[in-house]
Order: sequence, then structure tokens, then C-alpha cells
Amino acid sequence: MSDTVISIRNITQRYGAADQTDAVLALDDVSLDIRQGEFVCLLGPSGCGKSTLLNIVGGLFKPTSGTCTVNGRLVDGEPHPDKVAFVFQESTLFPWYTVIENFRIALKFQGIAQAEWDDRAMRALKAVGMASFARHYPEQLSVGMRQRVNMARGICVETDILLMDEPFAALDEQTRMVLGEDLSQLLAATGKTIVFVTHSLAEAVFLSDRIVVMTARPGRIKTIINVNEPHPRSPDFMLEPRFSEWRNECYALLRDEIRATMAAQRDPQPQSAGA
Amino acid sequence: MSDLAVSPNKIPAAPSAFAKALRNPLWLRVALLAGVAALLEIYGRLYADPAFMSPPSLIVNAFFTKIAPQPQILLALWYCVAQIAAAYALSVMFGVVIGLAIGASGFSRSAFFPIILLLYAIPQVSLLPLVVLMFGLGPVAKIAFGFSHGVFPIIMNVVAGMRDVKELHLRAARSMGASRMETIRHVILPHAVPSLFTGLRLGMTLTLLGVILAELYVSTGGIGYFTRVFAESYDPAPLFALTGCLAIIAVLFNELVRLAQNKLTPGKRRPPTLKNSVKE
Amino acid sequence: MERPSLATRSVQIAFLAVVAGAWFFATETASVSALFLPKPASVYAALQRLVQTASFWSAVLVTLTTILKAFAIAIVAGVLVGYAVTRSKLATQVIEPVISGLFTVPITLFFPMFILFFGIGTGSKVAYGATYAFFPIALNTIAAFATMEERYLRAARSMGASQLETFRHVLLPGALPVLITGMRIGFFICFASVLGGETISSVAGIGRNIAHAAELMESARMYAWIVFVIATSVTLNLLVYAFENHIRSR
Repeated sequence: MSDTVISIRNITQRYGAADQTDAVLALDDVSLDIRQGEFVCLLGPSGCGKSTLLNIVGGLFKPTSGTCTVNGRLVDGEPHPDKVAFVFQESTLFPWYTVIENFRIALKFQGIAQAEWDDRAMRALKAVGMASFARHYPEQLSVGMRQRVNMARGICVETDILLMDEPFAALDEQTRMVLGEDLSQLLAATGKTIVFVTHSLAEAVFLSDRIVVMTARPGRIKTIINVNEPHPRSPDFMLEPRFSEWRNECYALLRDEIRATMAAQRDPQPQSAGA
Repeated sequence: MSDLAVSPNKIPAAPSAFAKALRNPLWLRVALLAGVAALLEIYGRLYADPAFMSPPSLIVNAFFTKIAPQPQILLALWYCVAQIAAAYALSVMFGVVIGLAIGASGFSRSAFFPIILLLYAIPQVSLLPLVVLMFGLGPVAKIAFGFSHGVFPIIMNVVAGMRDVKELHLRAARSMGASRMETIRHVILPHAVPSLFTGLRLGMTLTLLGVILAELYVSTGGIGYFTRVFAESYDPAPLFALTGCLAIIAVLFNELVRLAQNKLTPGKRRPPTLKNSVKE
Repeated sequence: MERPSLATRSVQIAFLAVVAGAWFFATETASVSALFLPKPASVYAALQRLVQTASFWSAVLVTLTTILKAFAIAIVAGVLVGYAVTRSKLATQVIEPVISGLFTVPITLFFPMFILFFGIGTGSKVAYGATYAFFPIALNTIAAFATMEERYLRAARSMGASQLETFRHVLLPGALPVLITGMRIGFFICFASVLGGETISSVAGIGRNIAHAAELMESARMYAWIVFVIATSVTLNLLVYAFENHIRSR
């Protein structure tokens, strides 16, 4: 349980050169260890660099300085799809392929033998209750269904680590809840390690073992909150007083950071807001 | 900013002001065109057969020695400009009126729009000899042919712009108690303006095409006569200069419409950049 | 497009009927000179005579091969140039406006130069048609590849797709609809410009025959050619439209 699978050491990410007025320090000396089977949420105000951190772990961005290792192997701006799967914010299902074709292509890209494609795809689709939509094109599905399929595509490659970049941001509250439950069950069933970026306090508390609260730009780790509650979690968890306590604790920690971000937007600093 | 977030690694370290200016697309574009002109100059002077090809400097020279002093050629150019203006004015007038009439209701749109599409699909150039036969060798045939090219894209884009109005805006207008006429006046027409300008620009391009086609076809007078004479006498410099004049006229007409578009589109709505994919 | 109702269809049929009726009426009462508008019967007779001549088919063959040659050149050049340009963001920013700007100037202006360079035969029409069709194909290729959304590329990269796999499964299928639209437009522009080139100045082909009939004031024969061209063009449009729909709804 306690073996570290993702090790983030002194990561700093800067956009633009240091001596330039439009240079942005997105992440400042961030270090974090994530253990096998853990669900870790990155929570923070807009633009605090949480998505950037996730992309660095996934090997999509190369950090300005610092290192990140996954299973002891150094990640340096190169994706490692055999160990890590990504689920993005927007639906990244390819609109020109049907649902099942989207799974096949993901498995093909990852180098899985063709004989296994459909088995694995259907298993993942069944896990999210979307097996009967295998032959639909993404555009024929609702946003919630699409994101469910998108999540299943991340699952079907059966990596130990799943990185999720605000996967539920475009969904309504109710769909979010249901998908959150699915995810909690998945975690309990497979023992995957999941790193999850979100804006939503309730989502963070409901899903996480640990919540990493980040500061306004430049992104640093402010505090880590432990949510000691076994998976799978039922919706009743949200009615418990301890759920509210954790949620309120997060809110109190975040409030100042959100204010700082908003102030920067109202009275723009030389560095531009966004991202 | 979101651009930066997507690909932070591609941002070069501390570019100097000079390097920045160097990467400005506008300068690079000018440099590209200047480079092409320079290559043509070198090729034209050193390698090309002078019966077919002239370096740009000789073309400019030919303009001042063989085009500008000839009142007949200047008159032909002037006629050409007047014909384009007349054909375009007719295209805009009829295009907008017919477009509004067709786009005004769902019924008229589904009844008449396919007819417009059918007419637009006809290769009009096959009618060119007929148009000249009917309207003669003078300006009327050229105006008619320019008009018949220019009017269709304007109709089609006016209709499309009125059709694509957002249901939510219509509902909002209704909830505020707007009448049918008020809805057309304040919601549907303003919505159609960007599309109208798309049509006006395409209409200009096609009006130019129609007039030039007719000009070149009628080789007994006007521009077509002079291009034929220059081409047959293997004297490329004045031919290139004359073509250059027409190209400049075409560019100026296009720019005029573009300026009008920039000035007159309410709410600064622009077609997105790099959407120059040609649709219809 | 809305589904055609009975009422809208009858309006369309009425429109065609009125056009046809006006043609009959005007020619029967001789209110329009037969030189400008011959009787439908004589156009039909002329068309019948025309398709039986060998010169008709040789003219069609000349035009057809010219169009196909020009179109092939335009596709190869347009797609290659378009794709090469989109490999760099800067090149796209610099070159795309140049190509789209040039396309708003009628290439017809330069037709006399094509005659000068390539002669009055089919070579000049091939070059002219290819040049004209190059623009929509290149522009749509640029638009197709340059507007590919970053998120799809990032997703493919996170899944470990190789460069070739990314091209084959992400870039190409994403670009295909716009590419095909570009080729369709390119084809019809090619068709019209070859015809136009032949009409203005040539020694053979359909356009030349229309112009020749007009010069001899043989209106019935000219109309027969025009009817043939319009029928061919409408048929081609319908075919291409059906083909495109087939690809889209695959």
C-alpha cells in the first residue's frame, strides 16, 4: 500500500523566458509522492498549474526543471502509454470513429494485440454501462454518455495509473455524481492509482484519499488533506457530517487563493491571466 | 495564454525585438512576394526567352512606355472598371432583394432555394457565346455576364444567413413581444450581416470573373483585343503590364468590399481566421 | 435543407413548367428572334444530329482528357503544397493569406499568358484549369490540417500513437471531409475553367464548338451543345453529391 508509484521532485514550470515581462511561473518547486492504489485530487483556483502538473506526469509537457518518475522510470516529456492512461476534460473521442473503433484505435496505439481489442473494449464499456452503444458515433451520444465512454477508453488500456484532467467539468451535477460513483467503484475493484484534477470541492472530497490543495499562481502545494474513507463510497457519504467538515476545510483553504486569482484578473498584472 | 499552455516547449527563449519582427507574418509575406519577384527578375534577365517572358522591371517600364501613353488602352481599362462597377451594383441590388424574398419564410426558402442552387450549378461559361450573341460586343454583354456570375453567391449567402439565425434569439425576441416584422428587422437581418458580406465578397470575385471572361472572349475590342495583339506579336512585357493593371483593379475592388465589411459588420463579428476553406 | 413538402415541390415544378412554357410560347409566336432562341424542336433535332457525328465525340474526348489532366495536376500540387504549409504554424500564417488573396483575383486575367506559354492547343487549358483548381484544393487542405484540434493530437500522443499512426488515424480522417469538399469544388472549377479556356481561345473541345456555332450563328447547334454541357454538369453534380453523402454517412 505504501509503495510510491509517482514521485514528483521540485517541479518548476515556466512559460516564456525568465527575463521577459510576459513570462509566467505556473508551477514553483512542487514535490509530491503518490502511492499505489491511491486516489489523489489536485484542487486549486483557475490557472494554478494543476493541469500542467498532470500533463508533466503524463509526459505531455516537459518541465522547466525538476524531475518526475513513474514506477522508478524518469518521465521527461515523453508519454508512456503502457503505464499511464489519460482522460481529458473535453471529450477526446475521435468523431470520425464509432465508440468501438475509438477503443480499438486506443488499444492499437498502445500496441495491444488485435485479438484482445474487442474483449477489452467491451469489458470497459460494460463497466460504465455503455456496452449497447458500441456502434454509435460519438455525436449520436449525449455529453454525459460521451464522457462516460471517454472515461471507459482510459480504462480499457488497463494501465495501473489513470490521469484525469477535469473529466466531469462539462457535465451537469447529477451526471457528475453518477460518474463519480462509477469511478469510486472502479478504484475499489481494480486498485488503480488515479490522479484527478478538479475545480469542484464536493467532487474532490467524494473521490479522494488525499486532496492536494494548491495556491494561486505560481502553483505551490498549500496543504494536503487526508480523506480517510474506504472505497467504494456510496452517495450517502455526502450526507455525513464529516463530508461537510472536509469540504469546509477545503473551502477555507481555497478561499484566499481564489480571491488572489480574482484580484489578479480585476487589476491585471504584467503577467496575463488564463490557462 | 491557452496556446502557451498547450505547447510550452515550443516557446523560444528570450527572442530579441529583431527576431520578433522577423517572425511577423506580414513582413514574411512581403518578403516572400519580393523574393518571388526577384527570382522572376533574375530568371527573366538571364535565362528566359524574351518572346515569352519579361523580368518585372521591363514590365513596369512597358506600363509607362506602351500602356499609359495609349489613350485607347486606358479607355478600355476605364470601360472595364465601369462594367465591373455596374455589374456588381446590379448583383448586389438583385442579390439582396431576391435573397431577402426567398429567405423571408421557411416556405419560400424550401420552394425557391433549390432552384437557385440548380441555376448556380450551371457552368455559366457555356452561355458566354450566347450572351455575346444576344447583347452584342459592347459593354452590355460584359455587364450582363458579370451580373449573372455575381448575383447567385449573394442570394445564397443572404438566404443562408437568415436561415441560420439562432432559435434562442428568436425565442428571446418573442418573449419580449416582438412582432414578425420587428423580429426580421432586429434579429434576423443583423444576424445575416456577416453571411451577407461573405456573399458580397464572393459576389465581387465572381463578378470580376464574369466581366473578365467576357472581355477576353470579345477579341475585336476592349481589353481582349489588346491582349490578343500583344500575345500574337510575341511582345510579353506590355501584355504582362496590362494583365498587372487588371489584377490591381481586381485587388482594389476586392479590398473595397473587405473594407466595407470591416466597417459595417455590427458587433465586430468576424468570420474566424483560417476559415478560408472554400465551401460553395 | 428542409424536407421538400408537396407544396414546395409543386412550386419548383411550376417554375420549370413556366420556363419551358415561356420558351415554347416565345418561339411559336416568334416574339424572340430564332437567332437568340431557337424552337425546342429544332434544338432537339440539332442535338440528335450532333451526337451522331464523330466530331462531337472527339470534342467531348478532348475536353474530358483536358479536365482530367488538369484536375490530377491540381490535386497532387494542391494537397502537397497545402499539407507542407501546415507543417509549420508560421508558414501557415505567412502563406495561407497569400493563396487565399490570389484566389480572389480571377485567374482568367492571366489566361493570355497561358496561351503565350503553352500555345493555343490543349496544353494551355490543362495549365489554366490546373492553376484554377489548385487554389480551392490547396486552401481546403490547409484549412483541413491546420484546424485539426490540438486535443485530438494530444490524446493520440498520450495513447502512444506513432507519427504514422497519428497521421493515418487522426489527422487524415479528421481532415477528410474538408479535403473532399476542396476536391469537389476544385473539380467543378476545373470543369468550368477548361470550358472557358476553350471558349475564349482554342482549336478543339466543347468550348471551342460552342463558340464556333455562335460565330456561324447556328443557334440550334449552339443550344444543343449548351444543353449537353448543362445536362452533363447537373448529372455530375448529383453524382458527386451522392458520393459525398455516401462517404459522410458511412
